[in-house]
Amino acid sequence: MMLFQSMFSPSSSPFRHFFFSCLAVCLALASMPSYAGSRIVSTGGVSAIEGAAGGGLSPWAVLASTASEQEIGVTAAATHAWVDDYRLTVTGASLNVYDRIEVSVARQTLDLDTLGGELGQDIYGAKVRLLGDVLYHPWGIWSVGMQHKRLVDGTIPTALGADKTSGTDMYLSASKLLFSAVAGRNVLFNATLRNTNANQGGLLGFGGDQSSRSWMAEGSVGVFITPQWVVGAEYRQKPDNLSVAKEDDWQSLYSAYFFNKHLSLTGAWLNLGDIAGLPSQRGGYLSLQAAF
Amino acid sequence: MSFPHKCKRTHRGLITVTFATIAITLAGCTHQSATQSTTLYERLGGQGTIDTVVENLLYRIADDPEVVVFFANTNIDLFAESLASQLCDVSDGPCHYEGPPMDRAHQHMGLTDAHFNRLVEHLDAAMQAEGIALGARNELLGRLAPMYTDVMRLQ
Repeated sequence: MMLFQSMFSPSSSPFRHFFFSCLAVCLALASMPSYAGSRIVSTGGVSAIEGAAGGGLSPWAVLASTASEQEIGVTAAATHAWVDDYRLTVTGASLNVYDRIEVSVARQTLDLDTLGGELGQDIYGAKVRLLGDVLYHPWGIWSVGMQHKRLVDGTIPTALGADKTSGTDMYLSASKLLFSAVAGRNVLFNATLRNTNANQGGLLGFGGDQSSRSWMAEGSVGVFITPQWVVGAEYRQKPDNLSVAKEDDWQSLYSAYFFNKHLSLTGAWLNLGDIAGLPSQRGGYLSLQAAF
Repeated sequence: MSFPHKCKRTHRGLITVTFATIAITLAGCTHQSATQSTTLYERLGGQGTIDTVVENLLYRIADDPEVVVFFANTNIDLFAESLASQLCDVSDGPCHYEGPPMDRAHQHMGLTDAHFNRLVEHLDAAMQAEGIALGARNELLGRLAPMYTDVMRLQ
């Protein structure tokens, strides 16, 4: 119900417009036979909130779409998350070249429902596969990535004590699928180590009075109930740079369904902790991705 | 006051993750002890089902122009027999695969990841069509997956 209320409220009409046009395009494209990458369905993950291929909250080592070593893939995604006092909308796109390099862009808009106003940032990402494969290699797949983030308007974050209005995250990520690991089901493991100075992912600026850069651990586990449906949990450790706006680690329970290689829908329950002085932010998450 | 609060919540998060890990591990152990008595070969349905899976797979290959070209100079009967004995061997059945090693069998064919992935998809579809349960399909695919390195070594 909360989702539909927020989707149909007047303030979210640009999102609603985007969501339904995206849905229409996706359904039209998904219903006709068209080019798909050769990698196995779901091995490109979904679009994480910062644009890279991953889960919901954290990037994974896999590269977006199902493009293989001689193929090029693109994805587009629309994501909406709603917690007690905030709503986040993300639109993003990514390009996978030869399953070696992924570049991505994402625009995040955070509506401050209780505090009033909004915060936004643009994220330019790149990820390089160092070695391996999530299915076939004994060590899984390993990638390094970066995310350059620029706030649209740094006034509020700067007032809260953030040092900068732009910043860059670097990360190392590993993903591995274990076949038939739980009750005959395949289980996907992901671990990411991120060096960051971003407050609340960057929406509250970069650096602060308590610290600047730090290393953070992120991880997820997912069980493939069927080859097209994965259910799991994600955890993202967060820094705590601003003394006036305590920051907590993020957690989610997610379910992602891959209709085919072109279309996936992800739903999640979020527990994001305190955000900008408002406690215990919990809520839902929906993300639709189209891939070609 | 805010710091103990944060610690408590992080603590709770960690507890959740720990419990989830334990639950998954236990589920895995229970599963293993339950299935140790029957071999994968039996759960696949024995030699009869393996033979029909191979036949089903060959029809899919024949219909796929991107893959069938690699079988232009192949004795299909011999190949079917060899593949069936390999699947039987890999799944702990009463066979001993005596064909060539995977790197020599595929050398200089010019195979790419796309070809390998396509064959994996065809094999899984063939197993599904012959009524093999998801757990047995996943386990067989898991035993075949490490062969990727050998198949691709001499390309």
